[in-house]
Amino acid sequence: MRVSFYATLRPIVGQRSVDLPVNAGATVQELVDALAARWPGLSEHLFDEAGGLSRRVNVFVEGRNIRWLEGLATPLEPDQVVDIFPPVAGG
Amino acid sequence: MELRSFGERIAHVDLARGSWQMRPAPREWVEKYIGARGLGVRYLLENGPEVEALSPENLLCFMNGPLTGSEASMSGRWACVTKSPLTGTVTDSHQGGWTAARVRWAGFDGLVFEGAAERPVYAFLEDGEISLRDASEVWGKGIHETVAFFRERYGEKNLSVNAIGPAGEKGVRFAAWVNEDDRAFGRGGTAAVGGVKNLKAIVVRAGLRKSEVPDRDAWKQVRRVALDAIRDEANITSPRKGGLSVYGTNVLMNVTNSIGALGTRNSQLTSFGEGAEKISGEYVQEHLLVEDPTCHACPVACKKEVEVKEGPWAGLHMESVEYEPAWSLGANCDNDDVAAVAKLIDQSNDLGLDPIELGNALSMWMEATEKGWTPAGQGLAWGDTAAMVALTEAIAERRGAGDALAEGPARAAESLGHPEIAMAVKGQAVPAYDPRGLKGMGLGYATSNRGACHLRAYVAAAELGVVPIESDPLAWQGKGELVKTFQDLHAFSDSLDLCKFSAFAEGAPEYAQQYATAMGIDFGPDDVMQAGERIYNLERYFNNRAGFGPGSDSLPARFTEEASTQAGSKGHVSELGPMLGEYYAARGWSEGVVPDVKLRELGIL
Repeated sequence: MRVSFYATLRPIVGQRSVDLPVNAGATVQELVDALAARWPGLSEHLFDEAGGLSRRVNVFVEGRNIRWLEGLATPLEPDQVVDIFPPVAGG
Repeated sequence: MELRSFGERIAHVDLARGSWQMRPAPREWVEKYIGARGLGVRYLLENGPEVEALSPENLLCFMNGPLTGSEASMSGRWACVTKSPLTGTVTDSHQGGWTAARVRWAGFDGLVFEGAAERPVYAFLEDGEISLRDASEVWGKGIHETVAFFRERYGEKNLSVNAIGPAGEKGVRFAAWVNEDDRAFGRGGTAAVGGVKNLKAIVVRAGLRKSEVPDRDAWKQVRRVALDAIRDEANITSPRKGGLSVYGTNVLMNVTNSIGALGTRNSQLTSFGEGAEKISGEYVQEHLLVEDPTCHACPVACKKEVEVKEGPWAGLHMESVEYEPAWSLGANCDNDDVAAVAKLIDQSNDLGLDPIELGNALSMWMEATEKGWTPAGQGLAWGDTAAMVALTEAIAERRGAGDALAEGPARAAESLGHPEIAMAVKGQAVPAYDPRGLKGMGLGYATSNRGACHLRAYVAAAELGVVPIESDPLAWQGKGELVKTFQDLHAFSDSLDLCKFSAFAEGAPEYAQQYATAMGIDFGPDDVMQAGERIYNLERYFNNRAGFGPGSDSLPARFTEEASTQAGSKGHVSELGPMLGEYYAARGWSEGVVPDVKLRELGIL
C-alpha cells in the first residue's frame, strides 16, 4: 500500500510517500498506529486527546475521507492508495 | 480615521466633465448594505440594471468597507462593483494588497466613476483630493511598466497603483484591474469597463492613519479575539504553521486531485494524476519559493513570491502561484510545467487578465482543436506552453483566434457552434473545484449572482473538513441550506471588507463584534446573517431585472450528465436539480426569482 503525506505533514515524515505492507483484515486504525510508531511527531496531528482521529488530519482511502466511510475502522486492501493531509483550503 | 462615519466620503467622479464631488451615501444604504460589496451593488441598482455594461453609462464603483484599512486583521480589501461585460449580471471583485487601505487613509470611503473621459486619464488621490491627469504616457503599457512609471514619477513611499492593462483597453471581456503588480480584481471583466471609460489607473499616496473608535479598549479586545482565532494552531491560517500560511492557496492542488475534484483537460477528467504534485504548493515551496509577502494587517501571508531558476523562463521573478491559476493554466490545460504556469500567471497579471477565465478559454480551445472544430491553422495542442503564451498575447491584443477568445470562453465556444464545451455559468467560467467531486461547490457555482464563482459560497471549507461544519462532498442532501448560509456570511464579510480567508478562523460572532465596536452600535451574529441575506437578495433582484430568471442557475451538462471516471468521485455527477430545489426553498425564491414579499421582508423594497 502506498501512503502519501502532504503539506505540513510531509516535513515530519521527511518524504512524499512510503510503501507499507497491509495484512488481511487491516483497518485505518492499524495503519495510523504504525505510522505514529514510526514517526512519533505525527501523533499529535493524527490523534485527539481521547485517542480518536484528530480534527487536524484528514485521511483519504481511494480519494474518500474516512469520516464518510467507517472512520478508523475503515478496512484496507493492499492495492489501495491512502493520502494523509492536514486541513487544507484556500481560494 | 473615524470608522463610525463610514459612508460619508464617497467621491463621485464625472469623467466626461473631469470633475468630482464628495457626497455621502444615504445613511439607510450604509445601515442596510454595510459597505464595499453591498453598498456598491446598491449604487448599481440605483443606476439601473438595464444599462449596457460596455457603455459610459455603466458605473464603476471602487468601494471600501467600514473596516478597510483599520487595525482589524485581514482588512486590506475593497470591492470593485459594476455591471459585468462578461455576464451581464452585477459583479463585485475584491483585491488585496495595500491600495484599499491607502485609499481609506487618503480620506475616501469609496469612488464612483461615471461617464467616460475623452482621452486616457488616471485618478490621483492624496489628502482627500482627487485630480484627473493625462495617462497617454502609460496607455498601451502593461501593468508592470505602468506601476514602475508611477513609482518613478511619485516615488515608492506610501504609493499604490491600481491599473488596467492592454486587455482592459481593448475591451477583453475578462480583463482585470491589478494593483501592486500582481493582485487583481480578477473576475467579471471590470477592467473592460475601465477601458470604455478611458480610466487607466487609480494612483494613491497616503501614509498610515489610525482608527478612531467610540471605545478604544473594546476595539482592542474584539480585535484580539479575532487575531487569536487566526493564530490558533488548529486553524489553517496559523502563521507559519497552518497549511494556508505555509504553502499558500495552492496547498489545495493535491487534495482536490486526490478526491477527484480537480478538473483536467477542460474538465473532461476529474484528476490530474501525478501531474498535480508538479504544480502544487508543496512543489513550489520546495523548488521556487523566495518570499512570503503579505497584505495590510494580515499575519497569514498566503502570497508566495517565486523565482524560476532554469528553463525557458529562467529569471522570472513573480507573485504568486495561486491555486486557481495553477489549476486553470496547469491541470485544466494538461500542463504540468510549473515554470510555465508561473510565466502564464505573470503574463496574465501584466496584460491585466483574469487567469481563471484565461485558462478556461485556452482549455476550451484545446478541446475544440482536439475535436477538429477550430479554424485551420488556429489550433492549440494540450500542454503546448509556448503556444499558450503566444495565444494569451493575441487575446490581449484581440488578434487572430485571440479576438474570439477575448469574448470569453462561453461566447467563443458558441461562435464555434459548440457551446457545450465551455465550462461556464451565466457566461463566467468555472473555478478549480469540479462539481462532481464537491457537490456543494457546484450548487454554489450555479446560484452565484456573478456567474460561476468559488468565493460566493466557499462550502469547500465544510466539504474538505476545514471548519467544524462538516459535509460529505459527495452527498447532495443538505447542500441547499449550507450554500445559502455560506453565501450570506460571505456577502457580509465582503461588505466589511475582510479577506475571505478570515472565515477559516472567524465567523458571524467575530464579525459582529468587530463591526459593532467599530461603529458603536448594537449588532449581533443574527444581524450579520440578515444583512448578508439582504445583500444576496439585492444582487439577485438586480439580476432578475437585468433579465436573469428561471433556468439561469445552471451548470454545464458535462457536470450533470458525464460521470466522473476517477478515484474519489468515480461514478458521480452533480445532482443539481434536487439541490436547487432545497436551495430555492431555503431562500424563499421561485425558480431563481426573488419575490416582492421577500424583498419587503428584508427591507429592500
